[in-house]
Amino acid sequence: MSQSSLKNRSPFQPLDWAEVVEMWESRFGIPLSIFEGASFYRKGRNVWIFSLPEIPDLRCESVGLRFMSVRGRVWKPTTYALQLFGHVATKNAVDLGPDQAEKFIAGERQSLEAELEDGYVVVSYQGEVLGCGLYSRGELVSQLPKERRIMKEGIENCLSSGGS
Amino acid sequence: MDGLERYRDIVPEFGSFLEAMSRSLPVTARINTLKTDRDRLIFRLTAAKVPCRPFSWYDLGLKLELEKPGNLIENLMGHIHVQEEISMVSPIVLDPKPEERVLDMCAAPGSKTTQIASMMENRGLLVANDPANTRVASLRSNCERAGAINVVVTRYDGRRFPSQKFDRVLVDAPCTGQGMARKDLSVLGRWSLKRSLGLQRLQRPLLKRAMELAKPGGTVVYSTCTFAPEENEAVVSWALDQVRRVRLEKVLVKGLESCPGLVEWNGSLFGDEMEKCARYYPHQNDTGGFFVAKLIKE
Repeated sequence: MSQSSLKNRSPFQPLDWAEVVEMWESRFGIPLSIFEGASFYRKGRNVWIFSLPEIPDLRCESVGLRFMSVRGRVWKPTTYALQLFGHVATKNAVDLGPDQAEKFIAGERQSLEAELEDGYVVVSYQGEVLGCGLYSRGELVSQLPKERRIMKEGIENCLSSGGS
Repeated sequence: MDGLERYRDIVPEFGSFLEAMSRSLPVTARINTLKTDRDRLIFRLTAAKVPCRPFSWYDLGLKLELEKPGNLIENLMGHIHVQEEISMVSPIVLDPKPEERVLDMCAAPGSKTTQIASMMENRGLLVANDPANTRVASLRSNCERAGAINVVVTRYDGRRFPSQKFDRVLVDAPCTGQGMARKDLSVLGRWSLKRSLGLQRLQRPLLKRAMELAKPGGTVVYSTCTFAPEENEAVVSWALDQVRRVRLEKVLVKGLESCPGLVEWNGSLFGDEMEKCARYYPHQNDTGGFFVAKLIKE
């Protein structure tokens, strides 16, 4: 198979770098420079971030890390991308206390007073990013993937006692 | 301890070996430097009163004194990856560098893949290949949690992986897994010579293909978690006969006790150079069992 034929058939379509990173800058104040050298691809509703300017000439199941998903004009950052880049967010980011973090980790919703715009936010605990939350009218809803949630009975060895 | 008696003459202190095999494995994890650093992580665990102790031989490895490390918040955030101590050896022997092109031929569930990605500092290209659809889900999930952006996942049959050139290739081959008995005792009951020989028929062409895919000067690492020479030295010596201009390099990980690879077994001669391979027995470092060979393409 020639190089071009495999590339043309690739379901991963390259995206404009500036267009993607400006969305993150505008929502979270994340500096564009942190994404320097990376490239972005879209497949279906998912946008992927990849370390090299071009994807290799192979039949790929995935390319780098799922960065965000897009539905119409609404986009949602993945928890994994926020865990990697969210620490430099300067807005729409919130650091929770131990009880709040416990609820978030268990996948629950909770009321929260914070200086956040409605929409997706970076949620952290003791300065380390836990993942993505959805903030709307004073309520924070955990967006942690189900397989990553830790239910309350398992949580005792999970939260740092130094946090309270 | 089915199937271990055959190793009485090759394992030193066979009694201690059997005794170690009957104990359960210590809980261990690796610090993921893509998301945190060692000092910060150890500070957090200490503050949370999680008893942890770094390995003597690898500063990113940790022994954890708790039953369910999966419930640690640091696991959710991808700051640690729960991984058996001895399996951290293959990426260290592979020694990948940032910006290189690396292939992990039998990658699922991705413990070694994510270790390689962090050693590459999320740069260059790491192809994580595994043909099994069911295992690719766990591979992708582990790569995402680790925050690896330099990994592409493919699902080729490794024996027929497309012709591309790589600086380094890891073949962490499917095997009978006797070395994992401390985690799951049933692997010993499932072992048979027939199974070892059946897997050898897969392991040999996997390693041969890996050697073909390595660039001149490139490195190939072959590892298994079994003691059976049929799946270890008998695979490496066969592959060395098949592909020209490939030589063995001595495997040496400082601070870990090991035995040299076998020169012969049950009348089969593998050659003196097999002593450059390393066999790690459970009683030597209180780990699982492991075999590692390092090959250099000239």
